This record gives sequence, structure tokens and C-alpha cells, in this order.
Amino acid sequence: MGDDIRRKLILRQLDRANLTAGDELESENNLGELSSFKKPMGSQNQSVGDTGRSNKKTTWRQFFDHNECIGVQNRNLEFNVYYSLPKSVDARSIPIFVLHHGAGSSGLTFATLVQHVDSQLDGKCGFFTFDARGHGATRPIDPSKGLRYDRQSYNDDFVELLERFYCEHLIQFGETKLSLVLVGHSLGGSICTFSYMELPEHLRKRVLGVFMLDIVEEAATLALKNVYSFLSKTPNVFKNYQEAIDWSVRRGFSKNRCSAEVAVPACFRQVSSGKVVRITNLKDFEKYWDSWFVGLSQRFVSLPTNKLLLLAGNENLDKELIIGQMQGKYQLVVFQDSGHFIQEDTPVKTAITLVDFWRRNDSKKIVIKTNWKSKKFTGQ
Amino acid sequence: MDMDLDVPMHDAIEDQQLGPTLDEDRESANTGSGVEGTNTESVGQATGPLEIDEVEDLQDPDFKPGSSGIADQKSSKPLELTNSTIDQLDKWIEYLSKCQVLSEEEVARLCKMAVDVLQFEENVKPINVPVTICGDVHGQFHDLIELFKIGGPCPDTNYLFMGDYVDRGYYSVETVSLLVAMKVRYPRRITILRGNHESRQITQVYGFYDECLRKYGSASVWKMFTDLFDYFPITALVDNKIFCLHGGLSPMVETVDQVRELNRIQEVPHEGPMCDLLWSDPDDRGGWGISPRGAGFTFGQDISEQFNHTNDLSLIARAHQLVMEGYAWSHQQSVVTIFSAPNYCYRCGNQAAIMEVDENHNRQFLQYEPSIRPGEPTVSRKTPDYFL
Repeated sequence: MGDDIRRKLILRQLDRANLTAGDELESENNLGELSSFKKPMGSQNQSVGDTGRSNKKTTWRQFFDHNECIGVQNRNLEFNVYYSLPKSVDARSIPIFVLHHGAGSSGLTFATLVQHVDSQLDGKCGFFTFDARGHGATRPIDPSKGLRYDRQSYNDDFVELLERFYCEHLIQFGETKLSLVLVGHSLGGSICTFSYMELPEHLRKRVLGVFMLDIVEEAATLALKNVYSFLSKTPNVFKNYQEAIDWSVRRGFSKNRCSAEVAVPACFRQVSSGKVVRITNLKDFEKYWDSWFVGLSQRFVSLPTNKLLLLAGNENLDKELIIGQMQGKYQLVVFQDSGHFIQEDTPVKTAITLVDFWRRNDSKKIVIKTNWKSKKFTGQ
Repeated sequence: MDMDLDVPMHDAIEDQQLGPTLDEDRESANTGSGVEGTNTESVGQATGPLEIDEVEDLQDPDFKPGSSGIADQKSSKPLELTNSTIDQLDKWIEYLSKCQVLSEEEVARLCKMAVDVLQFEENVKPINVPVTICGDVHGQFHDLIELFKIGGPCPDTNYLFMGDYVDRGYYSVETVSLLVAMKVRYPRRITILRGNHESRQITQVYGFYDECLRKYGSASVWKMFTDLFDYFPITALVDNKIFCLHGGLSPMVETVDQVRELNRIQEVPHEGPMCDLLWSDPDDRGGWGISPRGAGFTFGQDISEQFNHTNDLSLIARAHQLVMEGYAWSHQQSVVTIFSAPNYCYRCGNQAAIMEVDENHNRQFLQYEPSIRPGEPTVSRKTPDYFL
């Protein structure tokens, strides 16, 4: 019975998003057909997505309420951040999804995911993401000073920005209502996992869980050995944004055009000739690669919070993750039809999984029903 | 009368030819024509009960429970073995013990017979001592053969398996075929409970589905077995004292009698008592807790003690969790976990164990290492073609 209701709910959600699970595979929908875009809201800064795009206007505005530059002097960085605040506080519990992209990507990789989560929760939720150092529209304040790209530097950026965002924008909603869900794709998953223990106490106790998208330490470490052959097959310059998008979709790096329309341009900047050039050159980070994933599986499995690992394609867990899974330490979900960029390829299903993860683990809402009469047991 | 008593099967358990390495396996999977296309309907799979999968259930009537037809002509009384079926089963067991697969048509016949055995078993299968209780096997066929060497050949030793025969290991088909054939041949000597991996949803992610496609070229054998899984009993009770099941307790099941009232003939549900019995884990924290797995619950020592007290039990025996020694006590010996897949996934480095319970209810654990065999599948994993 409960299952039937759930099923109907899901179908309604899919309906509302004007998508079916099948469409998600190769959605050729025009963006105009999507029904639940937010209205553009005020923004202080010029935004990346807007520049130099003439034909289809797919910009951050359709997915986030705010796009700002946050200067952090002591880190010598001006971060490009995107966020949306809860539209209503009329809920016992408000999830805030804090999202960190992977290497070579940008905050807008989460655009379509955020949109679907928001529609499933009727705006009673918030989102925060940004372009990490060396990515998207995040820039050094003083370019003459070199930047480090090791995991610790990424962690420190993440913790600093999250704390600022929390104090400036979230506290007003009432701390006890808030649950932070840390969502990281690929390298971002490693950063979320390792940042958890580095968060100040008042923030860490608001964290409901860590949600990693397609990252397995062993596989990532193996992939590092193939970076050069991967990069040699990946052009860095295209005639315009549209060509970059088309290439990405054609080559199967993006399996969902709606997501690619917003995510791909954010990884390029237009030069005077009109061509677009990839912003992040992964080779520049080579001496830091070793630091990115080491110890990830063990740390993830032992994190004292709720954990979900969402993988694309085949289940390819390494030893630590297999043991952890077989001991029931975290939840594993596999989307066999998705490519590496799960949040872009299958945003609807990922949104359902993410919302389900929050609901299931939200201690503000959990009541474990029991029919045991002899003694009163309650949830922990 | 008691046909089970004779013809032990130990001779069949000799050294086996090994199958191809994993890599070759993978290769043949890729070249198998039409095989890949069959899987387009698997939209998303969760280890936990994620409702997304239901969308796909709705879209593909072919994946509906019962579509294999193995239960279309169920008998109204338990299967009675004839001399010819015994001959047939003995041949199959001998063949399967050499790690060779039955034909699709033979699997169909085997599953039909098995339905007529399993449909008459109770949700709580009563079992007498002595019995040897085993945990997860997960397609590690050669280690199952090792298990029978350690514990004794099947009709001589009574066995209780607590689920998870398929997935992850490379010989799920051989493993489950052999256990089901033994079940039909010696119904009073071996009991096979259902684990959370005996499910349509889970097997599509963790290997059994792909293995069936690879070895038979279509999903029909997978459909037959997963339809058969619906009939597996979910718990057993050894001499009214040891309650055996795959996962653990449920906040909706206070008494063993409440298990008897469940309708178990269905796909493992996403939630509710039957789901919990196959998914839950004991925990150091007291009371009930949300399971990190995404399905079932965690239960503390207070819960286990209460359950054992209420139902006049001495022990809960369960599997489901990898334990490095092959067995592990918890909740001050109210609960024991048994895991029978050594070096799980050919890489976890754990021992395996089985638990013998003798006529006087003495318990003894037999631990064992992975069976030694030349040409063990090398676990070489494909490097992903993505970057970060």
C-alpha cells in the first residue's frame, strides 16, 4: 500500500518535471518546455553563463536565485558562488544542499539537479555551490601569487565559504531547523568527505550526511594514470559555446542536453577571436593529483555521519568500500544508465535519491514505528 | 521412505575446471550479440529500497514477477520424488558439482520442481538438530564446495543456508543451481532461506543478471530463478531455540508467530517487516535505529534480549554482514553473525565460517580459508575512461 502511494508520488514528480525516466537518457527537450524554472532574481554581479552567448539563453538564473563574487583576501581568491535560500520556512526541517563539483567542472554542473530537488521539495530547501579554485569564474585576487591545488587547500576553501554562507544567510532561518547535506561529485566527493571533520563544531552538528557522486578511490587513482591519454582526446578550444556543448553531447560526456547547455559553457571562456577556451587545464594540477583521493574510501566508510555513495555504470567498489558496504556502514546506489556526471546525466533520479537520503536520515522527522508492546522503544 | 538418507554426493565434489578469468568473462559479455540491449530497462538500481525502480517496473511488463512461467502449474501437494526424478536430480547434482551449468530447459524443470517443494514450506521453517548453519555464499562456487568438504557432504550433514547465494562472485548460476537441486533432492536435509540478494532488483546491479545473460544469452534463466526466490522461506527455527534469518529483527515483528502471518511470496519489498528481516543489522547502540544501508533497521542489545525472552529463544543466528573471522558474536551472545564467503569478492581477506549445532545444542564454529585452485580469477578492474 505504502509502495503504491510512493509510486504515484514519484510519477507525479516526473510528470511535473515534464520528463520521464526514459527521457532523461537523451533528453532533446527544449529548455523552454521545462515547467519549473525559477524566476530570475536580483543579482549583483555579472554572471559567467551570460557572457557571449547569443542563441539559446541558458543561464544560471534559471537554476539559482543568486550569483555572487565572494572575495576571500587571506586565501587570495574571489569565489564565484551560486545559492538559493528557502522560499518558505514553514517546515519542521529545512535541508540545505551544499554541493562541490569535481576536477575540470564547475558549480553549474549541479544546475539541473538543484532544479529538480527544489521542485520536489516545493522550495522548502536551500542550495549553495561555487566554482572551486582553478575552475569556472573563480579567480585569484593577485594572479602573481601562485595557488596550490592540493586537497587541503580545496578543503580549506570549502570550509571557509560554507561558514560564511551559514553565518550570513542561513542562521536567520533558525539553526535547529537546518540540516546540511554535503554533496560532492568526483574530486568534490573527496573534499566533502575530508572537510567533514574540519568543520567547526557548530556547523558539523548541522550536517545530516555526506552524499558522494561517482567516486571510488581505487578507480580514481587508476584513472589518474590515464589522464594524459584522456586529455589528448579532449579539445580545449571550440568555435563557440554551442560547439563545445554539441561536442560534449556527441561524445557522450553529457548524456543530457539540458544539463550540458548550462554546465558546459561554465567550463569555457570566450577569447577576443570569439572562440571559447577551456578554463581548467588539468595538467596544471599534476603535482597535486596524488593528494586528491588518498585515503578516501577508508575515511568515507568511517565518517560518523550518514553516507550515501551513488555510482554510475558498473559497481566498481574497492576493497575498503566493499567491506564497508558488506558491514552496512553506508548506502550504495548504482545508476547503470548514467555516465560519470551523474548529476547532469540523470538529474531527476539523482534528485529523488538525494531527497530520499535527507528524508530517511533527518533526525528531526524520524519516528520509528513499532508494534512491540512489551516495552517502549524509540529511535535513537 | 526417507529417500534422503542414502546416496551421499561427496564423490561429485572433486576438483573442478575453472572458468575463464574475469577479463575474458567481461569480454564475452561485450561481444554477446543482443545481450546488451536486453538491459536497457534497468533505469536505476539501488541497494536500498529506492522507489525510483518502481517506475521502471511499470514500464516493462516482462520484468513482472511470475513472467518466467515456472509457477504456472503449481501442484496442490508437495513434490514426490520418483525413481526417474531422483536419477535426474543426481545427474544434475553431479554435473553442477563440477561447476558446469544446466541447460536453460533443465533449469526450467528444476525450478518447477523447486516451486512444488518450497511453496509448502512455512515462513518459519522448523528444523531439528543436528544442523550446520551457513551464511552468505555470493556465487563463490569453489568455496561452497570447500564448505561441503569442511561440514560434510549434504545428505549426511543437515544444512541451513541463510541466503545470499548469488551476486558478486563469478559463479552465481552454478552456486544457486546446485543448492536448489540439492534442496529438491534432499528436501528434509537442506534448507535454503532467502537473502536480500535473492531479489530482482538487487541482482540486476550486483552481477547475477549479467552472469545469466553471459552464460545463457538471454534473461530467461534469471527470470526463472528470481521467480523461484519468491518462494524461499524467510526464517527458520532450530528446535524452537535458535531463530535463523538473513538480516535481523523488525520493529513490526515482536513474535515469531507474527512472521508466520506474513505473505512472503513476493519480491522483497522496499519496507515493512519482510524487508527488515532480510536487511536489518545488530548495532552497539540500543533501541531501534535507521539503518545506514538505506533499508531495514539497526537493533540494539535490549531489542535482541527482549525478542529472545518473548519468544523463549536462546539465540538469533543471521548472516548479511561481512565479519573478518567468518563469525562474530554480538549483544552478549544473543546474536551470532555467520559469513561463509572467504576472501569475499576475491579481495577482502576475510575467513569464512559455518556453525555446527549438535544433538545437545552444543555449538561449534568451523572456519575456513578460500579453496586453493589453480587459475583463480584475477581481479583486474577496468580503468574508468573518465577523468575526475
